[in-house]
Amino acid sequence: MRLTREEESILAGESGDGRRKAMELIVALGRIYGAERLVPISSAHLSGASYKTIGDGGLKYLSDLAASGSKVSVPSTLNPVGMDRDRWREMRISEGFAEKQLEIIDLYGRMGVRTTCSCTPYLGANVPRFGDHVAWAESSALSFVNSFIGARTNREGGPGALAAAIVGRTASYGLHLDENRRPTVVVEAETDGTAFGYSMLGQAVGSAIGGGVPYFKGISPGADDAKTLCAAMAASGSVALYHVEGVTPEAARFSEGLDGLESIHIGERELEEARGRLNTADDVQLIALGCPHLSAKEVRDIAAFLKGKKKARRDVEVWFCTSSEVRDACREEVRVLEAFGPVLADTCMVVAPIEGSFQRTGTNSAKAGNYLPTLCSQKTVCRDISGLMEIVT
Amino acid sequence: MILKGRPISPGRAEGRVVKVGEAFSFLGGVNGSTGDLVGREGNIAGKAFAFPKGKGSTVGSFVVYDLMVHGKAPAALINREAETIVTTGAVISSVPMVDSVDIGLLEDGDDVVVDGDSGTVEIRGLPLVRVASSAVVSGGRVLLLKRPMGAKSFPGAWSLAAGKIEPGEEPEAAARREVFEETGIRVGEPFASLPPILVRGGGTMWEVHPFAYLAEGAAPSLNHENTEFAWALPGDVGARGEILVPKTRDVVLEMTGAAGR
Repeated sequence: MRLTREEESILAGESGDGRRKAMELIVALGRIYGAERLVPISSAHLSGASYKTIGDGGLKYLSDLAASGSKVSVPSTLNPVGMDRDRWREMRISEGFAEKQLEIIDLYGRMGVRTTCSCTPYLGANVPRFGDHVAWAESSALSFVNSFIGARTNREGGPGALAAAIVGRTASYGLHLDENRRPTVVVEAETDGTAFGYSMLGQAVGSAIGGGVPYFKGISPGADDAKTLCAAMAASGSVALYHVEGVTPEAARFSEGLDGLESIHIGERELEEARGRLNTADDVQLIALGCPHLSAKEVRDIAAFLKGKKKARRDVEVWFCTSSEVRDACREEVRVLEAFGPVLADTCMVVAPIEGSFQRTGTNSAKAGNYLPTLCSQKTVCRDISGLMEIVT
Repeated sequence: MILKGRPISPGRAEGRVVKVGEAFSFLGGVNGSTGDLVGREGNIAGKAFAFPKGKGSTVGSFVVYDLMVHGKAPAALINREAETIVTTGAVISSVPMVDSVDIGLLEDGDDVVVDGDSGTVEIRGLPLVRVASSAVVSGGRVLLLKRPMGAKSFPGAWSLAAGKIEPGEEPEAAARREVFEETGIRVGEPFASLPPILVRGGGTMWEVHPFAYLAEGAAPSLNHENTEFAWALPGDVGARGEILVPKTRDVVLEMTGAAGR
């Protein structure tokens, strides 16, 4: 790997131990993936934020890193954490968990990370431009900026993205390079055009192809559809980039030369199979919406749907998960939602320790449907939002 | 005996090898405060921990850090193929790491020096013995020989005609000499050969120089070094579960051009 003089000096420790360690990690990761050089990044988005997932080892790592004076050198945002930082008692979070979680948020903040704690930073807090190289963790968000913005990032892990943020560079391999952004499979898809339909489509495609770069024909997702499609394909498979004919910014560049590619068809039968796999419970104790975090439009739509309705079941809790920006921007609508359950910011049902309080959770998200059983020991009901809200109205 | 790999995480450390033969997840695979392996014997604290590659949750990186905080980190890590989780764990915890190393060449208890800057693993006190190994082919079949149960190395295993290269002897000359001594067959020029490969057998590392010879219609007459012979199609070598000297099948397939068939 060829390093610039400045990169060599960081690696030699001339700008401090924290930056040296960060550079060592970037170089090591670049080496194992065959990178020839590093590339400057314009932003980072970090995962590894919930105390539930990183544990005491992760907390100690962050605390040592912050104590060494390490600071991010590019705009950086943080993924959801294990609780709403103000309303954690409503989530039945223990004092001990809350204390450690608040410490983690504080440590990221001390390193200069913007601690908005959302998985949808591309909706406002952190928006890359077309062609930007970035270092993003959080599989759904990085797929969105790759696919719908045309920024360039690999599937970074939490510490790798943080190291990249500290030195302002990442290793140039994988999706940073033109040749790896080409489609690898054509997907002829049918959907009903709803956001839930796009979630099931993502589930079906991710399960069918695993990884690679799909090129979609026959769909035209809007922003909220794209958000859920990204999340589903990154959870049921490892898709980090896809193209949609006539929609995404790089699709036209690759519209020639698709003939030689494998082509798959996803129709009603595949979508039904996908839905079947995500429904493992008959009833729920918790309904959690907002995976990925609800957009302002989704909050308004849900409020319009719920307005004038009453919550009929006390034995079922409802959580609405969103970013603090959206919660602040939609005060009217939030009041409507609060009649059904808390509108939580900073967190979601997947990274919160819900397994202590619930066993059966309802979701409209294929991503949550994949992770709730493994990360939270839940059985799941997976329906669209109105289908879920029928349970409690 | 120095194995050449790739430098992954900087630093140099000595330790005894603890080996796990399959993909390993630090999350769930080891106790982060004690270094005890979970579900198998062993403790990796202060050891050169060798396994083919990492798997499992990305949180595994922080388990390595947790081990370091508790003073129970491995002295070094050795992989066949480094991936993100283990690499991250090694670098953030300042544990030297080397990859592209054939884990099969290491055994539990080996005394090693892992150099994460040069990408090498030195196995101390392990003798290296150079041997020539020959695939003798007749009618498309390869001659296999069975070693006696009392043999010092690989007892009872099937192998090619093979023996030590004498000091000053060319490997190919040694190969021809051993074929004649063990089978009475005189062979001409080899039709194939491979660069030397390493094979581990207990307290010895063998540097094997493989050759292949045509000997149509030859009839072996064995000396004391082997107890049985068999002519096998290349694809059948080891296919019935018989015990083979390590890498015999790979060597045969590669030299006879049957690899991948």
